[in-house]
Formats: sequence, structure tokens, C-alpha cells
Amino acid sequence: MKQKIAVKVDDLTVAYNYKPVLWDIDLEIPEGVLMAIVGPNGAGKSTLIKAILGILKPIAGSVSIYEKPYEKQRSLVAYVPQKGSVDWDFPTTALDVVMMGTYGSLGWIKRPGQKEKKAALEALEKVGMLPFKSRQISQLSGGQQQRIFLARALVQDASIYFMDEPFQGVDATTEIAIINILKELRKAGKTVIVVHHDLQTVPEYFDWVTFLNVKKIATGPVKDIFNDDNLTKTYGINYKVSIQE
Amino acid sequence: MSNAQIEIQLIASLVAIACAIPGTFLVLRKMAMISDAISHSILPGIVVGFFITQDLNSPLLILLAALTGVITVVLVERIQKTGLVKEDTAIGLVFPALFSIGVIMIAKNANDVHLDVDAVLLGELAFAPFDRLFISGTDVGPKSLWIIGSILVITVGLLIAFFKELKVSTFDAGLAASLGFSPALIHYGLMTVSSVTTVGAFDAVGAILVVALMIAPAASAYLLTTDLKKMLGLAIVFGVLSAISGYWFAHWLDASIAGSITTMLGVLFLLVYLFAPSKGLIAVMYREKQQRIEVSLLTFLLHLKNHNEETERHVNHLNEHINWQKVRSKTVLDLALKNNMIVIDNKIVSLTEKGDEFTSQAIDYIITNEDAQIEDMKDDFFLFRG
Ligand SMILES: Nc1ncnc2c1ncn2[C@@H]1O[C@H](COP(=O)(O)OP(=O)(O)OP(=O)(O)O)[C@@H](O)[C@H]1O
Ligand SMILES: [Mg+2]
Repeated sequence: MKQKIAVKVDDLTVAYNYKPVLWDIDLEIPEGVLMAIVGPNGAGKSTLIKAILGILKPIAGSVSIYEKPYEKQRSLVAYVPQKGSVDWDFPTTALDVVMMGTYGSLGWIKRPGQKEKKAALEALEKVGMLPFKSRQISQLSGGQQQRIFLARALVQDASIYFMDEPFQGVDATTEIAIINILKELRKAGKTVIVVHHDLQTVPEYFDWVTFLNVKKIATGPVKDIFNDDNLTKTYGINYKVSIQE
Repeated sequence: MSNAQIEIQLIASLVAIACAIPGTFLVLRKMAMISDAISHSILPGIVVGFFITQDLNSPLLILLAALTGVITVVLVERIQKTGLVKEDTAIGLVFPALFSIGVIMIAKNANDVHLDVDAVLLGELAFAPFDRLFISGTDVGPKSLWIIGSILVITVGLLIAFFKELKVSTFDAGLAASLGFSPALIHYGLMTVSSVTTVGAFDAVGAILVVALMIAPAASAYLLTTDLKKMLGLAIVFGVLSAISGYWFAHWLDASIAGSITTMLGVLFLLVYLFAPSKGLIAVMYREKQQRIEVSLLTFLLHLKNHNEETERHVNHLNEHINWQKVRSKTVLDLALKNNMIVIDNKIVSLTEKGDEFTSQAIDYIITNEDAQIEDMKDDFFLFRG
């Protein structure tokens, strides 16, 4: 059976101030996988996602989403940025942040209405944050802020989800709650791509993995390629994972 | 009030509103310094524009000068991008350079340009009513009023149209970009509006007041609300309030109007900074004190819960045991009594049912850190707020 390719990256090179931080990346992400991107700090994981989403302009290479350029496929893609990338003191509420997920389908100038509000409330409910809907966002804990971001992505009702470290600074309960939502998304046929740091949980949470460190080291099913060899190549040190299948 | 007085206040108020709107977003984007840079570096643009148009109020001059403002922003970003210096340093490099070019141009052409550096910095609001606009011979009011009025109408129109885009790109530029709202476009749009407002306002109120009117009302409003729309509204109210009170202050002292308005802005910010209900200095200090007392209260209640022996629960013993100063133990005892958490019988302290329940809940909270449990306790207990 030939699987559809959700995201295809060709010869992608991205640089900040002419210093390349991603070299010549080729990547194919099949539809319906729950994929981890792993690699050390500064490996370019966030940069890769930003380049795929058109937030950064690559100096070479191209990206396609279901065989079309990203600009044509925005409505198919949802994004959860790294939590530290926004100012949590911004004067707004949890509900309002989630509503921002609906802005894409509204387009320029048009304002969100009752329909968008209802969708946002449903997403808040799904991540267990409904009681906090009117809370100013700085008065939420780190894990709650992460759930708000997740709800904002859910409200986009996309086919492909990119999440930059959604487990950063969350406790075990929240982590399980989030991973269950991600698994549900996959069950619904969505493709989910997650930057992930905890190598121990990769086999348990994900079915697909990409090793990244400036270059792409490997990509494929977790059961085939998640091994000491690739980990050592990615992290530089002699890596021994104590994971038994 | 004479006509001129009303006109001056009207101009000052419109300037205040036109500045507060972009100012709110500049403050939220932590770009307060940029408005300072723009307000100074538009000077060469104004001079060049004046050579071309020979009219300080021409719309072309305003656009030319505003372009200098946007160029400033681009230059600052270019310098910053080299990674050699930080943003504030880049700003510090660009605007004095441009401003001094402007000053030299004025000095060199003093005879042709009716501009002087004092007027650039402080404006000439008092004279604004004398420069009138005539449409086919009829006097329709001061020129500055028309200029700033038009700019304000455009600004408000843009704000209403692009409120959602401004909000999302200010809060989360990455999301905005991925949704297809170009943050760069919005950024330069905001810079253009700020520049146009600055140029339009500067003839009347000068560079310093423009910066003050952009930043101070927004910064004050930021301390008072957690809602972007309310922040905009408050910033506008503060701006207008300072403009009018500043005018009368100047009238009373016979001083510079721009200077007085700036002073009022400063006073207003100081008051808000001290007395804002939740983010103000006094509120923060009060809250910290409350929290200290409540931590003590909790320690005290826990002690009672853990000890059944009467000796451990004697008032005198508590003083020593928990090792507080007399004042503190009295405050804590009073607080506990007032909330019906304890009873004192013959100098022996015991938990009431309510106190016992409260303590268990609090322990639960501390151990599990579950937010749901704490939601109902929040209202009557400071410790768990924020
Ligand atoms: N805005 C920027 N300007 C210049 N260099 C940058 C910028 N953002 C990232 N970099 C550099 O690019 C490299 C890759 O950064 P990136 O944020 O993609 O790493 P990452 O893999 O996501 O790391 P982390 O695990 O810490 O989130 C790093 O060396 C970083 O210093
Ligand atoms: Mg990252």
C-alpha cells in the first residue's frame, strides 16, 4: 500500500545571518503518523518547523504540503510554537488566545463571531481548561499555558499539526492528557509532528521519528530506526538507551 | 474660554488620541524606544520635504518625513541583524545621526527654513490656532486641527479594520505568519502609522511630547487592565486627560503647554504605578505582606492539626514554639479567629471543623498542586492567588 506524503521537504537549507543552521534537509512525512523530531539544543528543530510553515525564508530548497506549496495549504496546518516564544503578560484571556486559532480561516479584516467562540470553548473543554477561560494568561501555570496552546491548535481543525515541545515544563498528568489528545488526532487520520526532548518516551508515544542535528541523520518508523547508532550520531556522545521492546 | 483656547485643547486631545493608539501597540511590542528614534530622525525628512514643498503643512511633506521614520526603523533592524550590537544600541546609533543631520540642515539654511530646533523639540501649540486653513476663502479652523484630525481618522479606520491582525501578530508573530498574516507587513504598517502621526503632531506639540503621548498613557493603561481593548480605551482617556489638564496647568503657570502636558503624563504614570489595584507598587507590597501572614496562618493551623496534646496548643507555648514575634502571632491568631478557624478555650487553642477542613484542603493543594481544588478557596484566601 502506498501511503500519501503529507509533508515533503527538499534540499532545505536555512540560515540566520548567512550562517546555515540547517543543511540540505530532505524529509518525507507520511500521512497519519505521530512523529517525533529529536536532536540536541540548537540542532535546528524549531527552525525546521518555522521554515516548513513559511515563518522563515530558506536560502535554498522547497517545502510542500500535500504536493502544493505551504501558502496554498495554510488551512490544512496548525502550529503550536515553543511556549517561551510569546509574551505571557500580554493583556488577553485564555479564551481569546484560543480564538486566535480561528483567525486563519477568517482571513484578513473579518472578525470572529459566535461560531468561532463556540469552537474555542469546545477546544478549551477538550484540554480541560474551560474553568480558566476568562483567566488572564499570565495567571496560568506553565502546564495550563501549554494546554491553551494545544487548544488553539485544535480549534484550527487542521490535517497536519506541528508542535514545538508541547511537553516542556508540564507535569506527568498533563503530559498524559496531551499525548492522549495527540493519539486521538492520529486515530482521526491526522498527521502530528512533535519536537520532543524526552528520549525515554519516544517509543511509547510515537510511531515515527526524525533525528536532526543541523543535518538530517535519519527518519522512519520508530521500531526500525530508534536505536543507539542513530542516537549516537545525533547527540555526538556514545548513547545507550535503556529501552526494551 | 476663548475660541483659541478651545482649539488648542481640541488639537492637544486629538494628538493624544492619535498617539495613544499606535503607542499601545509599541508598548506591548516593547518598542517604546523606537518612537523616540522616529520622533527625532524625521527631522531631516521634514527639512528636505520643506525644500520641496515650501509648506510645513503639506501632506507630501508629512509623507516624506514619515518615510524617514520608516527608514530609521529599517536601519535599526539592519544594524541589529548583523548581531554586533543589541537593539537599544542600534537605536542609539541611528537616531542621533539622523537628528544631527537635520539640525545641521536647519542651521545651514536658517534663512529659508522657518524652523528652529526648540520648536522641533517642544512644538508651538500656543500658536497653532493662528495658522488657519482657508477653503475657497472661508476660514475652516486651524491647519493643525485638520492635519491631526485626518491622521486620527485614518488611524482609527486602520485600527478597526486590522485589530485582530495587530493583536495576533503582536502576541505571537510565529502564529500570525503561519496563518498567513504577514507580521512584517503589519510591523511596517504600524511603523508607518507611528511615523505619520509623529510628523503630523510634531509641528504642534514637538518631538518630546509626541514620544510622551505615545508611551506614557499606554504604559499607565497596561498596569490597570488585562484586556487589550480596555487598554486602548484607557490609554486614550489618559492621553486626553493629560492634554487638557496640562493645558490648564500651563495656563495657570504661564508655562510651555507641551512641557506641562508632559509633566501631567509623568504624574499620571506615577500615580498609576503606585496605586494600580493589582500591579501597582502599593498593591504588590500589601499582597506580599498578606501572603506572609497567611503562610504563618497555615503553619499555625498545621501545627494545631498535628498536635493533640494540650501543652502543644497552649497560647504561650505557641508563641515560643512557632517562634514568631509577639505582633505576628497576635495578627495570626486574630485572623484565624475572625475566620472561625480556631476556638480558644482557657488559653488552649483548638481547630474548629471549618479550620480542620481548610487545613486538609490546603495540604492537599500543596502536595498535589492541583489547581481545580484551589479554585473555590481563592476568593477568601490570598495565598493562592496569582
Ligand atoms: N533568531 C535567530 N537569530 C540567530 N540565530 C538563531 C535564531 N534562532 C535560532 N538561532 C540559532 O539557530 C540554531 C538552531 O536553533 P533552533 O531554535 O532551531 O534550535 P532547536 O533545535 O529548536 O533548539 P532547542 O532544543 O533549544 O529548542 C541555534 O544555533 C540558534 O542559536
Ligand atoms: Mg526549539
